[in-house]
Amino acid sequence: MSVERRETPWIRAKPQTRFRGGEGLEATLLVVPGVALMLLFIVWPTLNAFWLSFHRENLLGTSREWVGLANYAEMFRDPAFWRSVGATFVFAAIVAPVQLVLGLVAALMVARPFPGVNLFRTLFFLTTAVPTAVAAVAWGWFLHPVGGTLNRALEAIGLSRQPWLTSPELALPALAVVTAWAGVGFTAILLTAGLQQIPEELYEAARIDGAGSWTQFWRITLPLLSPTLFLVALLILLSSLTAFGQIHLLTRGGPMESTTVWIYRVYQDAFFNFRFYYASAQAVALFLVLLLLAALQFRFFGRRVHYG
Amino acid sequence: MVSLPRWLARPLFYLGLAVYAFLLVLPLLNLFAASFKSDGELFAPGFWPANPTLEPYQEALQKYPLARYLLNSLVVALGTTLGVLLLSATLGYALARIPFTGQGLLFGFVVAMLLIPGEVTFLPLYLLVQQLGWLNSYTALIVPFMASPLGIFLLRQFIKSLPQDLFDAARIDGAGHLRMLWHVALPLAAPALGALAALTFLGSWNMYLWPLVTINRSEMMTAQIAVAQVQNVEVTSWNVVAATAILVLFPTLVAFLLAQRFFVRGIALGGLKG
Repeated sequence: MSVERRETPWIRAKPQTRFRGGEGLEATLLVVPGVALMLLFIVWPTLNAFWLSFHRENLLGTSREWVGLANYAEMFRDPAFWRSVGATFVFAAIVAPVQLVLGLVAALMVARPFPGVNLFRTLFFLTTAVPTAVAAVAWGWFLHPVGGTLNRALEAIGLSRQPWLTSPELALPALAVVTAWAGVGFTAILLTAGLQQIPEELYEAARIDGAGSWTQFWRITLPLLSPTLFLVALLILLSSLTAFGQIHLLTRGGPMESTTVWIYRVYQDAFFNFRFYYASAQAVALFLVLLLLAALQFRFFGRRVHYG
Repeated sequence: MVSLPRWLARPLFYLGLAVYAFLLVLPLLNLFAASFKSDGELFAPGFWPANPTLEPYQEALQKYPLARYLLNSLVVALGTTLGVLLLSATLGYALARIPFTGQGLLFGFVVAMLLIPGEVTFLPLYLLVQQLGWLNSYTALIVPFMASPLGIFLLRQFIKSLPQDLFDAARIDGAGHLRMLWHVALPLAAPALGALAALTFLGSWNMYLWPLVTINRSEMMTAQIAVAQVQNVEVTSWNVVAATAILVLFPTLVAFLLAQRFFVRGIALGGLKG
């Protein structure tokens, strides 16, 4: 951060004074509160998560004892844990493509201006404003076995009603669709911003060369949008791996634990099965998976952003 | 592929838009419709109520202190947003404009914090908040989230990108860092602050797992948890559940409609562009 202007050399000296007098006090005032809060509420809990996972409560639940890696050893042998891991990845594997495609279709339609574009942007981005609990309730009613509009519509066209949220086979995919729907607005916003970065001249040149809209999509839009798409896909994946509210509200992890995903297992073990430290070990394992994905996103993100 | 003639392409485009928009908002319309249905009509065929009634709203408001829950959510979301804006602006400014020893290190630290998935540290965070005696308080829902690495990062990037001349001019006029932050950096950073405020407010308003575990006193519940509770009690009265959900949706919906343009523009500015 150098001052370029040669005609005022006395300014140049200023940035080199480090924490002197009033400037030091001001800097301290600006830096310390934020750093202190980050240390207390991000760094400390993260370190403590690992520490806790090496412990176990005694039989009375009055104190804890060091057990080393015992929680992790148990975790690797625990079929319930592996079922929750499986459910989590099935869930994410449905949410990510569904949300990405729904969001991309919306973004493609409203990225360029046309008469009435603002109305459709509002409608397509609307789910951004819908809290998880409201989205869950809306779908709970929409998929209701008796009064639900979806089952009524199915019946009207001669198909049979489905127990969307109460069958062990359908509940997880149904929740994944609810989750993807709730995220469509935000995905569409990000992809719209990405599409607007593609220079209009490229499309004009392609049209002059006689390229149709199909060719333009595959040869211009998709390649130039792919970095954004990749980033958004990772964001969706990260958030779907910790989806909780809609599951808690609609299925409570059931039926037959079919929707007990990783984070839900952690919540249940910690607050209902009185196995706080075992839950901590499972949380740490999830933490490491998410960290890996975040690092991947960051490596990618880092190449595209100036830190200067 | 043969391209369609223009007179046909235009109406087809609008038809596609309308159908897609309709399908996307259908679950919400369905909820809205249910919230005006009487108990007798709820399970009868027909999308819209034949005799719209406000009974579900009256029942929801009589049986549950929804105003209190909404107020709780509002206090928490506003408190968190103000805290995040304040700390992101101050730390972001210091990282961008005040040279001091260890600045690079501190920025590296903030970037590293960006990577930490916060959802998963909720167990140790719970123990910490419990030890601090913050369970069942606004403090538990606000203070742990006030220092946002994302916010600090965004504002540092934004303030760094502002022209140096402006700060030089202020410095010549005798302004210290606090005045430069307040009078130069913040007014110019308004778009970034607006986008950060919108994201933070929505994020806080949407919190589910954290208030679920830290709040168990009824009067401190947030609107999200209240929706879950109402749905849990009113197992068959989906009209009352729907009315509750619509009331909880209303504030964010209004905020979204007011801030939408700002929001979209701000995100493009936030560095997430492709």
